[in-house]
Amino acid sequence: MRFGVVVFPGSNCDADCYHAIGAATGARVEYVWHRDTKISGFDCLVLPGGFSYGDYLRTGAIARFSPVMREIARFAADGGLVLGICNGFQILQEAGLLPGAMRKNESLTFRCQWTWVRVEDNRTPFTLLCEKGQVLRIPIAHYEGNFYLPPEELAEVEGRGQVVMRYSTPAGEVVPEANPNGSLGNTAAVRNAAGNVLGMMPHPERAAEGVLGCEDGRLIFRSVVEYLRGSGR
Amino acid sequence: MKVSELYRGKAKIVWATEDPERVVMEFTEAATAFDGAKRGVIGGKGRCNATMSAILFRYLEGEGIPTHLVEQVAENELLCRRLRIVPLEVVVRNRAAGGISRRLGIAEGTPLARPVLEFSYKSDALGDPMVNDDHALALGLATPRELAQMREMALATNALLRRFLGVRGLELIDFKLEFGRDAAGQLVLGDEISPDTCRLWDIGTGEKLDKDRFRRDLGGVEEAYEEVLRRVQADARAAAGEPVLFDGVVKVTLKEGVLDPQGRTITGALHSLGYRGVEEVRVGKLIEVRLRAADHAEARRQLGEMGQRLLANPVLEDFAFTVEPHGSPTARADPAAAPGTEAGAAGADEAGPQAEAGAGTER
Repeated sequence: MRFGVVVFPGSNCDADCYHAIGAATGARVEYVWHRDTKISGFDCLVLPGGFSYGDYLRTGAIARFSPVMREIARFAADGGLVLGICNGFQILQEAGLLPGAMRKNESLTFRCQWTWVRVEDNRTPFTLLCEKGQVLRIPIAHYEGNFYLPPEELAEVEGRGQVVMRYSTPAGEVVPEANPNGSLGNTAAVRNAAGNVLGMMPHPERAAEGVLGCEDGRLIFRSVVEYLRGSGR
Repeated sequence: MKVSELYRGKAKIVWATEDPERVVMEFTEAATAFDGAKRGVIGGKGRCNATMSAILFRYLEGEGIPTHLVEQVAENELLCRRLRIVPLEVVVRNRAAGGISRRLGIAEGTPLARPVLEFSYKSDALGDPMVNDDHALALGLATPRELAQMREMALATNALLRRFLGVRGLELIDFKLEFGRDAAGQLVLGDEISPDTCRLWDIGTGEKLDKDRFRRDLGGVEEAYEEVLRRVQADARAAAGEPVLFDGVVKVTLKEGVLDPQGRTITGALHSLGYRGVEEVRVGKLIEVRLRAADHAEARRQLGEMGQRLLANPVLEDFAFTVEPHGSPTARADPAAAPGTEAGAAGADEAGPQAEAGAGTER
């Protein structure tokens, strides 16, 4: 079982992901360089957080044209698992692999804080070890995480159950006070229609060890392993 | 350099030089028409024709057509390789005008389905009669191989000159070429290429910019020659097929209905400064793009594509742009206000008659 962590110029959570995935799952983890045009043998590709290409123009707008992105699109089209975290989520949106776009936070401030997210769908490869409705405590760290979709498209995405996590209170209430950035529908994580690509703004790799104050993030990586085992890999 | 006069034509004098393989062609201001029946002077013609011939010969050489030009040695003199002239004039026609209209009763300006090539026997006494290949071979004016080569070179020259002149707003209606054999016996393009030997019409207006103005007393003869020279000299880059520099201005705005927290904050700040009338502020981006493209249409196409693919995110943003040749006074105009603004996605309806809607939602 092999995870790949994609490294763009400006990625800064790549080493954290590399460490956390290995520690949480015992699986093999390798870095994938943004220039790579040939990637093979991976079971799950992770696009980590950071400020790819300085986030110039828009977050993820330049990284989306990295050579490796063509391979990632192909990998995803073949059903490969792709997880985008924070900036990785933004890159996948820019690439059209996930719906929506991120506006600046409503507060116009960089939000670096613990958040609680309620798991709306535990049948995805990334959440199958969670209970439906389980509240995870995972931190966010971003300036552009204010999820937006035009109303009609949002209705379609909601209708297909693609919102996988929502910001909530610790008790699991999805209310405006629990929304750290203004995201429509308190959206914290979204999957593609097929379910094999997930983007989440909270950083599971920052909540994957007791010493960091919380281990909830391990559930995401372990779910992937569980899913891959179940699918015979 | 000029040693002795070798030959005096109607509009040119050919001089021998110290080098037996080189001659100087002096272009005069004398103008004649109808085989010398009409005579006159066109001021500046020597300089115009020499300079234009030099530019066009250099261009053709660069494209693989051998010519007799060595260099322009004075404003109305070209140093050339000495040729033994083939006594055939080669005319290539793209639209009907002059002789072909009279002979075949085709209205002037009628486009010809394919270029028409004619040979004339160079003889002032006979009035340069048109001849066919058989005549030329029977009279020993050229070999079969030379006839085929002249045909091929004349048609290639036609295609090159049409492109070169076309990008300068000049349509090549027809023209006359002369060929000669160099010291090695190879066929080489000789004589001149100028408004004396070409019919040139302005592409936009159809205005005649050649010797027909003199033949038909249309006036503005000197101005026409100067205009042709100006266009041939200008914009050498475009003619060589090299891309031209454009300045584009792309305006990226948030779509209607997308909340703009920055705009809201600025609205509040303006209110606190006393601007109570401010109802809404929305913050976008203005991106200046300097690019090289083959022509204006290509620059426009590329900018539209850039807007769709990278500069704007179609989920959140619309874009509009203007693009003008670099250095033109309107190049930095406000893309929203300038005529000819191109718009991506919404807003295209208001952007004016020249606007093109970019499919901003396509990714």
